[in-house]
Amino acid sequence: MNPLVYYQTVAVLLLGMGFYALVSRRTLVGMLIGVELMLNGAGLSIVAAAQLTPTDAILGQLGALLVMGLAAAEATLVLAIVLVVSKRFGNADADGPRELRG
Amino acid sequence: MLARWNYIPALGQVAFALYALIILFGGGLAVTSRSLVRAMVGLVISLFGVAGLYLLLLAEFVALMQILIYVGAVSVLIIFAIMLTRASDDGGEAAGPDRRGILRAMPAFLFPTVLLVMMLRKYGVTGAETPKDIPVAALGAGLLGPYTLPFELISVILLAAIAGAVLLSFEKRGVD
Repeated sequence: MNPLVYYQTVAVLLLGMGFYALVSRRTLVGMLIGVELMLNGAGLSIVAAAQLTPTDAILGQLGALLVMGLAAAEATLVLAIVLVVSKRFGNADADGPRELRG
Repeated sequence: MLARWNYIPALGQVAFALYALIILFGGGLAVTSRSLVRAMVGLVISLFGVAGLYLLLLAEFVALMQILIYVGAVSVLIIFAIMLTRASDDGGEAAGPDRRGILRAMPAFLFPTVLLVMMLRKYGVTGAETPKDIPVAALGAGLLGPYTLPFELISVILLAAIAGAVLLSFEKRGVD
């Protein structure tokens, strides 16, 4: 057991908590919070693996920055989708847009 | 047990445990709270904890970007989403997940966690004891040197996301 294992354990716990929120939440915003937790776990895992092994550390840190940029883009799009859904269905519940009929 | 912990200096252990506790507390609040605003506060606490772990890993630039991008931008976006959908305290989460929701969500938490932690314990990789110290200038040189393509691609993706968000939330005239 070395430090890398502890960092990866925390990252796995973040992934699990995000997955739990993704499944158990009723609203789209709650699910988005779960996705952000999972992306944080991914970034932590990448940086820990790059900083504590002989891998190129620059690649790891820039990869984590890329994940953050993707998370920002994803949050922007999800905000727009949540707005459209709440305008059309009256609330932002995940059960609303279940049917494919427009 | 003590010999095992000798890998990390004592202060590092304490800081790691503190940040891990902050992450777990914030994540638990974000996952289980019935108010979306409280869940959001939990997410922010958890993000700060992850930034602390980045600092422990000597990735100070990533830690600052974590606070700037996540705490500064993404959480504000989510708070806007909460406000604009009126999903505040009396929103759709107020009833909490029903029993079937929890029954479905527990495997979703346990399956990846138990599987990955068991794999970590079995095939635990041998990492270094101390993280590498990379100057920020090297990161900048990397962005302008071998990793230019992802740097440019992420700006294209952000532009596409902004354009898509504007397009989606644009009020069409003539519809309803």
